[in-house]
Amino acid sequence: MSVNPRLTRRRFIKGVIYSGAAAMSGAGVYLANAQSRPAAAVERLISINVNGRTRRVDVLPQETLAHTLRYKLELTGTKLGCNRGECGACTVLVDDVTHYACSMLTHSVKQRSVTTIEGLQSADGQLHVVQQAFLDELGPQCGFCTPGQVLATVALLKSNPRPTRDQARDALAGNLCRCGAYDHYLNGVMRASGQLS
Amino acid sequence: MSYMHIGKDFTPPCAQGKITGAARYAEDFRREGMVFARLLTSPVPSGMVRDIDVSEALRMDGVVGILTAEDLPAAPRPGVPALSNELTYVGQPILAIAAISEQIAENALERVRMNIERRPFVVDPLDSLVEGGPNAYPEGNVMMRGENGMELRSLKWTRQAVEDFRAGREPAAEFTTEWSYGDLEAGFAESTVIVEEPFVTAGYPHHSLEPRTCMAYWENGRCYFHGSLQSQSAANAPLSRMLGIELDQLVFINETTGGGFGSRIGPYPFMSIAGYLSRKVNRPVQVRITREEEFFIGSARSGMQGWIKVGVKPDGKVAAVDVIIVNDGGSSGSGSGSSSAGAISVSYQPTAMRFRGASVFTNTTPRGAQRGPGQNEMHAILAPVMDKAARQLGMDRVEFRRINAPDHNSLVEANQGPVTSAYMREAIDMGAQMFDWQAKINQPRRNGSKVIGIGVGEGYHAAGNNGFDGIVRIGPDGKVYLHTGVGNLGTYSYAATVRAAAEVLQCSWENCEIVRGNSDLGLPHSSGQGGSNTIFTHTRTNYVAAMDAVAKMKEIAAAELGGSPDDFSIDGTRVFKTATPAEGLTYAEAAQRAIALGGKFSGAEYPEDINDLTKLAVQKIAGTGLVGVAKDNLEKNGTAPGLAIAFAEVELDLDTGKYEIRDYTAVAECGTVVHPKGLSHGMNGGGVWGFGMAGFERHVYDPQNGLPANVGLYQSKPPTFLDVPRAMHTAAVNLPDPQSPFGARGIGEPAMGCAAAAIMSALTDALDGHLFNRTPVTPDMIIEHVAQNTYNNKSLKINTF
Amino acid sequence: MPSHDVMPDIELYQPVQVEDALDLASRLAERGWLLGGGQDTYGWLKDRNKSPEAMIDLNGIEALRGIRETASGLEIGALTTLTEVATNPLIQASYSLLSDAAVKVASPQIRNVGTVGGNLVQDVRCWYYRRGLSCYRAGGNLCYADTPQGMNREHAIFGASRCVAVTPSDTAPALVALDASMVIRSTSGERVVPAADFFVGPNVDIRHTTVLQPGEILTAVRIPNTWANATFYFEKVADRNVWDFALVSIAVAMRESGGVIQDSRFVAGAVQCTPRRLEAVEAAVRGKARGEATAMSIGTLASNGAEPLTHNGFKMHLVDNLAKRALLA
Ligand SMILES: Cc1cc2nc3c(=O)[nH]c(=O)nc-3n(C[C@H](O)[C@H](O)[C@H](O)COP(=O)(O)OP(=O)(O)OC[C@H]3O[C@@H](n4cnc5c(N)ncnc54)[C@H](O)[C@@H]3O)c2cc1C
Ligand code: SF4
Ligand code: FES
Ligand code: FES
Repeated sequence: MSVNPRLTRRRFIKGVIYSGAAAMSGAGVYLANAQSRPAAAVERLISINVNGRTRRVDVLPQETLAHTLRYKLELTGTKLGCNRGECGACTVLVDDVTHYACSMLTHSVKQRSVTTIEGLQSADGQLHVVQQAFLDELGPQCGFCTPGQVLATVALLKSNPRPTRDQARDALAGNLCRCGAYDHYLNGVMRASGQLS
Repeated sequence: MSYMHIGKDFTPPCAQGKITGAARYAEDFRREGMVFARLLTSPVPSGMVRDIDVSEALRMDGVVGILTAEDLPAAPRPGVPALSNELTYVGQPILAIAAISEQIAENALERVRMNIERRPFVVDPLDSLVEGGPNAYPEGNVMMRGENGMELRSLKWTRQAVEDFRAGREPAAEFTTEWSYGDLEAGFAESTVIVEEPFVTAGYPHHSLEPRTCMAYWENGRCYFHGSLQSQSAANAPLSRMLGIELDQLVFINETTGGGFGSRIGPYPFMSIAGYLSRKVNRPVQVRITREEEFFIGSARSGMQGWIKVGVKPDGKVAAVDVIIVNDGGSSGSGSGSSSAGAISVSYQPTAMRFRGASVFTNTTPRGAQRGPGQNEMHAILAPVMDKAARQLGMDRVEFRRINAPDHNSLVEANQGPVTSAYMREAIDMGAQMFDWQAKINQPRRNGSKVIGIGVGEGYHAAGNNGFDGIVRIGPDGKVYLHTGVGNLGTYSYAATVRAAAEVLQCSWENCEIVRGNSDLGLPHSSGQGGSNTIFTHTRTNYVAAMDAVAKMKEIAAAELGGSPDDFSIDGTRVFKTATPAEGLTYAEAAQRAIALGGKFSGAEYPEDINDLTKLAVQKIAGTGLVGVAKDNLEKNGTAPGLAIAFAEVELDLDTGKYEIRDYTAVAECGTVVHPKGLSHGMNGGGVWGFGMAGFERHVYDPQNGLPANVGLYQSKPPTFLDVPRAMHTAAVNLPDPQSPFGARGIGEPAMGCAAAAIMSALTDALDGHLFNRTPVTPDMIIEHVAQNTYNNKSLKINTF
Repeated sequence: MPSHDVMPDIELYQPVQVEDALDLASRLAERGWLLGGGQDTYGWLKDRNKSPEAMIDLNGIEALRGIRETASGLEIGALTTLTEVATNPLIQASYSLLSDAAVKVASPQIRNVGTVGGNLVQDVRCWYYRRGLSCYRAGGNLCYADTPQGMNREHAIFGASRCVAVTPSDTAPALVALDASMVIRSTSGERVVPAADFFVGPNVDIRHTTVLQPGEILTAVRIPNTWANATFYFEKVADRNVWDFALVSIAVAMRESGGVIQDSRFVAGAVQCTPRRLEAVEAAVRGKARGEATAMSIGTLASNGAEPLTHNGFKMHLVDNLAKRALLA
């Protein structure tokens, strides 16, 4: 077993280091709120890498990544369908691997890079190939599960650029679609992988 | 008929936002100073809250306010109050707490103290119906007509009647609703085959993927409300009434809705919490609800407990159907028995029919419309019953359905009214051929522990309404602005229906812009978009509005260029003299003239018969272009039926009770296809819902304490990627309905019913004709059946297996 | 029923060395909560039905991760994710029973973070208990499931002892079948417990499903090469094919030679509080060839002695059928 070189030499990190008001970041509305936050809930200023940018943000010890993204970084493309690992609407990529953002702590992604649906388009606004394929196939119905479906597909195609329809089903299985748009999403996957034109 | 837009695929403008994350749902809006509210919900199935003590919660740092039932106008009883001290189901909201963070609001919930006086409760309708059984409300268990209109009454059956009913015998009992047509006795007398069965279908939650979060704030006496409804414009009148304000004091914003399936047809009482609380604390308030709360207050399908008797003549014609349905109405008492029975009258056209039923209150979640409420579960039960009749007649199951299928001359539902059109036989033939029915039923069926079942089932729902309004506006820039009050719930029908206006105006799609999502933008009154209605209803409203715009352009052109309006034509960019096309005006010029002319041309005047909301809308946009506005007064005579037929091949493993759907083919009979991709979405999505109904989804309540067992998604079990077929095949008959300007009707609900029915039929087929008479059929039931412990001689129940 | 889904205020420790984690675990004892992938934990905390004061996040401890070959088999760090277990070539090559089981857990995203340690130590899924009712397992004095009216379709058919909850883990039966052992550390040292003894029923400890004591950390799972490359069979029957817990699962390892089964392990999941060795089946198939005849010969041996509740009698047939299928595959 090798030691992860990215890990710091610090013996351990205690999650309750108080960060003063001066260190607050994030949208204005939350700044205002944070100042009157009771002593019980203590946030800590951390840096996380989201969509290629380093974001400094005050985070509670028990705060989920979905909460940080949606309420502190204004990245509302990450949806909360259940907040319990039962639907996949909150799927994001952490180091290119699918994760339920509702079921992981923001404090656990400090050394890793997070990709949300907002991070897929290129700088000039061009759609990611998966997004374009999902658009062409009209993947979504209500769209609430769609960011998760797109990200699950992006992750799949990174590790398996030409999946079979069955492999695609397995890879997207952790993304529930209440509208039942499964067939259209699979068509999207096949199109994105160049197997459907 | 060949059209520019109708029947063509296109990319709905909201799709890009959905795949980039930019689409905004109610929960995605933020507002300076916004606070977060959470609900305190009932721990008991029935009781009264006495002495609430919120002082400790209010003292907490960061808590900004509390809303209780006393802060809201008194709600009708029995009903679905937003907040209540009278508790009638576990999970009923009692109060809401607003705080500067969700964390604090949740912490504060734990500091509320209250005493609850418990009352008797009941989770099964028959347990309430039986003599001596508890009632969900102290006064009664059913709504019945009394001296003061409908009132709560106690309906009781003898023990014997309940036992008979459960066992599949006609009970000697009293009902709250009845209808019949034809001579039932004569029908059974001419029948050579009679099938009589008990049945039970489970209720279950909608669980749209987006929880019904709301956000509201007040500015200059107006309430800005971000909500999540199926329809945009069906919100305004009822929601403003709920908030106690005038129609023009409400700005309803609903750009995207994360599914509805019937649970978001109109504003639901819960919505008033955000409005009242934000007024009370004078800050924007977001009420995000949890998945569990979505189970509690997000509505659910009503379960059915029933008995059916079907008589069939030697030629295969269904002569008589007698059906009794007791609905589990939950705490709202809403059941759909009459619609269930109505569906039989459509799909099998019995010569005589009778329905008797009662919807019984139970201390379970409030019920409401859910995708084909009544019709779909009825078809799921009916398919194997009709299969049994066909089998006893020695007739092919598809042939049997063909013989009984509705057509243009059919009479339907309780009132035996006409249909606008029906091409069910065409649908059946098309589906049987696509599926290759003959080959499928003749293939070898057994392979080790696996056995193949082939099924067929139908779906029906009334799929079209009339009387709503349309607005189109041609801007001075020549662009066509398609104003719609149709919501964006995932069907793309908001976009599909405005294309009817683009079609009439013959303009390119690129030159059109859809105006929607915010009532301040001037949006016409629209239907609630329940029950497959949108396509029929709103192609009509868009048609009449666009026809009005065309007429106005021609009038303007005639006034300017001479001649009569009839001498003019349009081509999508110009209105011109038909004889001398060079003489004309561009749409832009016509719009500029309209603004200058004012009056009806610019929207300064409008027809008297349009809805108040539409009037407000026209006032908002008056003077900004040529305004076409009209109420749909087109002829509609009869029910516009949405029909579907589905075929399924399942491979059932007798060892495990699990099955795989190897083939699924469904054909829609929804008139002209307006938007092919939208249709395949509707058919596939409906199919997935049907698989859920047939195989997985159900309420589970503990009769000992009234607790629901399946509040989460993993317990409610909506089908996943791996529970549906690898590929689904859908098609449409695509023949026009004469009473729709473009021939289109809807299909959302039948798409589900046919799937559930086809699966149930296939399971029965796989098991040598065994009827479960139950939805869902789960692996344990199949295993028990194979082990020869049949489920049917156990007492069937709605919520408790 | 207040419905929460935001975790309450709690401390978070993120040690990077085992020693520090052990220190914390021993110091905090019951007040601390070990955190693997958190996929079981967060539900408890969001519901506020368990209220530890601090989480000890083990994910930063690299020494607890990874899969390696040892002289006598394989060692899997307790923090190794289920995805790694499911896709690891060593496991797939010689102990595919475990990878076949791991891939059936929950959903891809849960497997991407869920750890093998967490999967083994996760608490039961009895819905009454999860709703926060004060039943026996929660320290109260009644069981809601084991009553004539209890909604107990998912509950136990064996081993009732006040509590009738079943083991939820998909990997546990596989590890019992593979004769794995659990490496447990605390500040006072290390102990190695055979998988079969690691899981405990309510008759032994009604509050916990394993022998782990406060202050102890499961650091690794050792798989001996006893069953390497044996004939394996894993099957999980659940309502839906994603997310859902097993109604019944079976993990079977068979050592064959000369066309007959020399020795075997038949272990059923979700029929009692711990993975259940079907010893009667193992004895009956010894010396017989796999196939139809042997499959039929075991009859109802797997379910013998079961005491079903109102709604779970089907599990008897299911466990019998699954045992047979293992012999037919
Ligand atoms: C929707 C859903 C569906 C699920 N479906 C399944 C399923 O089908 N099959 C299945 O098997 N499971 C299922 N699970 C349960 C479970 O969450 C996962 O299986 C996962 O493996 C748990 O691992 P974890 O590391 O995330 O656990 P954690 O939540 O981190 O830990 C679980 C428990 O183990 C303890 N623990 C963790 N690591 C150690 C250690 N090293 N030493 C001592 N104690 C430790 C924790 O303190 C905690 O009590 C499901 C969970 C959810 C939310
Ligand atoms: S089965 Fe166990 S966990 Fe469930 S209610 Fe009974 S004692 Fe509690
Ligand atoms: S919101 Fe995270 S899995 Fe549902
Ligand atoms: S598109 Fe609505 S949930 Fe998937």
